[in-house]
Amino acid sequence: MSGGLFKGARLSLAEAAIEALDNLRAQGQRSALALLGIMIGAASIIAVLSIGHMAQLETLKTFRHLGVDVINIHAAPAGMASVGVLDRSTVERLPDLDPAVLAATSFIADHDKVSAGVMKATVAVGAVAPGLARLVRLGLSEGRFVSPVDDNGLVAVVGAKAAAKLSSPGAPIAPGAHITMKGYEFTVIGVLKPSPFTPLDAMEIDDAVMIPLTGAGRVFPSSQPTGALVRLRPNADVDAAGKRIAAMLDNPTSSLVVIKAREIIKGMNAQKAIHNQLLAAVGAISLLVGGIGVMNVMLMGVMERRREIGLRAAVGATPGDIGLMFLVEAAVLAFVGGLAGLIVGVLAALVSASISGWTFSIALWVLPLGPGVATLVGVTFGLYPAIKASRLSPIEALRAE
Amino acid sequence: MTDAILEVNDLRKSYGAPDQPIPVLRGLSFAIERGSFCAILGPSGSGKSTLMNIVGLLDRPTSGAVRLAGEMVDPGSADQAAHTRNRLIGFVFQSFNLLPRLTAWENVALPLLYAGVPRAMRKPSALEMLERVGLADRAEHRPGALSGGQQQRVALARALIRNPGLVLADEPTGSLDSVTAGEVMGVLRELNRSLGATVVMVTHDRDLASRCDRRIEMLDGRIVADVTTQ
Ligand SMILES: Nc1ncnc2c1ncn2[C@@H]1O[C@H](COP(=O)(O)OP(=O)(O)OP(=O)(O)O)[C@@H](O)[C@H]1O
Ligand SMILES: [Mg+2]
Repeated sequence: MSGGLFKGARLSLAEAAIEALDNLRAQGQRSALALLGIMIGAASIIAVLSIGHMAQLETLKTFRHLGVDVINIHAAPAGMASVGVLDRSTVERLPDLDPAVLAATSFIADHDKVSAGVMKATVAVGAVAPGLARLVRLGLSEGRFVSPVDDNGLVAVVGAKAAAKLSSPGAPIAPGAHITMKGYEFTVIGVLKPSPFTPLDAMEIDDAVMIPLTGAGRVFPSSQPTGALVRLRPNADVDAAGKRIAAMLDNPTSSLVVIKAREIIKGMNAQKAIHNQLLAAVGAISLLVGGIGVMNVMLMGVMERRREIGLRAAVGATPGDIGLMFLVEAAVLAFVGGLAGLIVGVLAALVSASISGWTFSIALWVLPLGPGVATLVGVTFGLYPAIKASRLSPIEALRAE
Repeated sequence: MTDAILEVNDLRKSYGAPDQPIPVLRGLSFAIERGSFCAILGPSGSGKSTLMNIVGLLDRPTSGAVRLAGEMVDPGSADQAAHTRNRLIGFVFQSFNLLPRLTAWENVALPLLYAGVPRAMRKPSALEMLERVGLADRAEHRPGALSGGQQQRVALARALIRNPGLVLADEPTGSLDSVTAGEVMGVLRELNRSLGATVVMVTHDRDLASRCDRRIEMLDGRIVADVTTQ
């Protein structure tokens, strides 16, 4: 690094780095303190980026079973009406009515107390059409889903979580078991595999007892559906299709709300962005504090090592050599802090993943960022002490105590 | 004198404010012959160290010229001064000035670092110099584990490792007892003979001065006596 900032320096960067490591080891404890700030800063950067990365993967995972081409139409009551409704037959004809629609199904979703033998629980209660299983890609662990043959039958399909809640020793919820709801006894015909909850679902299917929509009048105020899920063709214009479908389903008692998967993802990402910005601010502040720490340590080092600076000058170090020596020391100090921060950051991401129940994953591009940013901070804050050292007069430096 | 390693012409140095200068060197002119061993004597405050620092390019004169190995020294360039110090001058200080963290051989090798000598080549040279000053077996010791005389011999090795034309030693035996001082002086004399390095040594010790080829005596910033013995 001859020329540039410290022109006249004849020391190679590698030589300077070896010297720097020696000098830092000699400073011991004090270096360690400056490292701490840098470490926290670098660790928060690594943690922020890794957590963001994992959250993104989790979001995508959430929508994997549902896909991103689904819209949810919710009928809210309008005017004097006490419930909003959709016309079931229109919903079921949507694939024929609109070319963008692949499949559509309607439902009613609510919560209620149910019992099975001695077990009682409050669960999601849904009235669903046979098409739901395909549209939401539900898996069965036992039995079957509601089908057209059930019609008005007193049958129920139970989500994995609800099944666990209602099972008692010797009386597991399985096909053939009985569940009582609103005074009616329903026979279980199927139990679902565990399925994740998506913000798009009108109810937590995992925690639901579902009965055929046709016979919903026994449990719900009416057998008219209050919501619909529509799967669009993969490249359909979601906004336009949403508008068309809402127009087709429009009725005087309801105001329709159209919820799109893509919008929810966008919302989740925006929320995460704010979250990330906050954590990034913490990282930036720690790095700033760490940088000031590095500057302090270096300034003290320059003061204490004036004789050494004078001696080095006497044996031929140029001002550039001396400046470079201190600058590299600052950079190495910060780099080591950044490495420590990398480890702490990855550990923090690991802990946060296990707390959130996420799958741990690290994006490789994140890793060099911790030590990299830390080194940059070290160089920035080491500049002033380095310039100060390089400007010492050799004779005064040699005379210092 | 054509074969002078050092020539000084009307050298002046003053401290203090420009309107009230305190003169320390009041117009010195002399030349030092290549290969000679010269003592500078004089009472405290007579300007010996000031002269050494200016001649060694650690300090700048107020006026006057310094010529090293026939070349005029440009008082303006810090980089050039550093390069000249590295190539032409070896310093020996009263307080040794070894870096405590470095081993003996690493201290000796320091000038090579700034000469751009590759790492692998520095150690053999340093060991060779240590051998010359009789400390081959102390190469891996740190200064703290060496006696004063040994430390000063390490410093001598460091001053001479680049085979400089001029060794400037400011009271090199000032912090040693007389026996050790005599030994260090002997080593210096030996290096002067075997390597042909010119030595200029400030000393208060008349005994040591009498072992030099030439004695320059200073008083109040002037040369008051200049005796050469052959
Ligand atoms: N930086 C300075 N500022 C002001 N005066 C100085 C400075 N350096 C030296 N002096 C003065 O210059 C004079 C000569 O000092 P110098 O150190 O050269 O003396 P010396 O001959 O080496 O003395 P000694 O034998 O005690 O080492 C002294 O009076 C000293 O006070
Ligand atoms: Mg002196």
